[in-house]
Amino acid sequence: MNTDLYEKKIPIIKIGNFLIVSIQVDMHDKLAIQLQSQILEEIGKTSAKGVLIDISVLEMVDSFIGRMLSGMATMASIMDAAVVIVGMQPAVAITLVELGLEMPGVDTALNMEKGMEMLEKRVRNEDNDLF
Amino acid sequence: MSLVMLELTSEKNWEKLGKHILKFENDVVKLRQTIRHYAKQFRMGIVDQTRVTTAVSELFRNMYNYAGGGEVVIEKGIIEGKEALIITCIDSGPGIEDLELAMSDGYSTGMGMGYGLPGAKRLVDRFEIESKVNEGTIVRIMKWR
Amino acid sequence: MSKTQNNEKLEIRIDHIEDTLASVAAGDMDARINSEIEDDLSGIEAAIDLLIDDLTDELKQREKMQKEVEEKLSKIQEQQKTIVQQQEDLLELSSPVSKVWDNVLILPVIGTLDSQRTQIMMENLLEKIVETGCTIAILDITGVPTVDTQVANHLLKTVTSARLLGAECIISGISPAIAQTIVHLGIDLSSVKTKSTLQDAMIFAMKQNIRSENIKLQTLFDNPNENEE
Repeated sequence: MNTDLYEKKIPIIKIGNFLIVSIQVDMHDKLAIQLQSQILEEIGKTSAKGVLIDISVLEMVDSFIGRMLSGMATMASIMDAAVVIVGMQPAVAITLVELGLEMPGVDTALNMEKGMEMLEKRVRNEDNDLF
Repeated sequence: MSLVMLELTSEKNWEKLGKHILKFENDVVKLRQTIRHYAKQFRMGIVDQTRVTTAVSELFRNMYNYAGGGEVVIEKGIIEGKEALIITCIDSGPGIEDLELAMSDGYSTGMGMGYGLPGAKRLVDRFEIESKVNEGTIVRIMKWR
Repeated sequence: MSKTQNNEKLEIRIDHIEDTLASVAAGDMDARINSEIEDDLSGIEAAIDLLIDDLTDELKQREKMQKEVEEKLSKIQEQQKTIVQQQEDLLELSSPVSKVWDNVLILPVIGTLDSQRTQIMMENLLEKIVETGCTIAILDITGVPTVDTQVANHLLKTVTSARLLGAECIISGISPAIAQTIVHLGIDLSSVKTKSTLQDAMIFAMKQNIRSENIKLQTLFDNPNENEE
């Protein structure tokens, strides 16, 4: 009964230069680690420039998932992809801060649209640097 | 200041709401959802519900990673004149050698990031811990309504 | 009348007295002896009846008083509930969050900040940010007389939580006195955008808005075909 949960994969969608991941399930630690490597592999495969991670339905982010998310942001940036965490619930944000995880260096956006704008702006800035 | 409580707060008139066994990784997810359910029934606000759920998630992780599981008891009672939700996590794992160190921010024996116990403590109204090396650990958290 | 007959009658009467007393003791306050014969015993019987009467009265009075006290108690409890409710309402009322411009929210904070109030204030602000989708929130503390370590920490927590949602918080209305205390207390506000007046904060917010608008315009210019569709 437990096995099907391990096999359940969170879908990663590619749109243009970006990857979109929507976390819809309450993750246990193994699933979180699995998701992290899955996204990084996808970045490597598609050479995506940005990743949007929608966590608007997550009712809880504890220190493990928090660390997974901020770790992934750092790892992705080494692979030249920007990560934006989208749609965190107020209660989750307050709890994370009280837990001691302020997640510095992680970009956040209120919704998908704003997250997309952020990533586009970043890619544009890089392009402008070229010319 | 010593963080070691010689005796955990306990009253006979606490009402037992449930007792659960944590054994598999999936139990962590199921149990924290159970706790949220109780917190909701207890008419806690959404932020307090999230605080309790997150705190127990940290405790469950410790139980699963270090002791291979354990037992979770959920109670409600009146403490210092306030209605409280009381959650007790009992394991018979290796125990914690230096409680004061384990309760300090940023300390970790490798698997976590050191926010587990001190973080959980910050999220609840009262946090009590008792541990004996090679015997086990009991953590009791309380959250007022 | 024979002596034995007399004795029997007396015994019956005494039994009756005992029965009456027993039923009174059991709670039946309507039981009386009501003897119709006039002799030495009838005086005692009458006295017992009188005593029962008195007892009944007293009991009734006590019950009435108890009821009154209980009523008063429940009334007081009710009032207390109202007071708590009103306090909560007041807490919420005292931290109104309003949208003042595209993308800009303002939360004017007036009066002393304690941790319960800051908690509610913070929750309100964060919820409003999500609800309106505004990415800039100005926390104006002009009306806050003093800032101590606890209040400063609460403000910092609010700013950090808002950042996790994807919004930027600006704290405005920092008086010279508050600036002095903050530095004296060793509180690090360097990660927070601070402005001395609400006006400055508004100007800053507008500039931020224009900056993001420019990006949108730029996008349009880059893809003119997209616009024609």
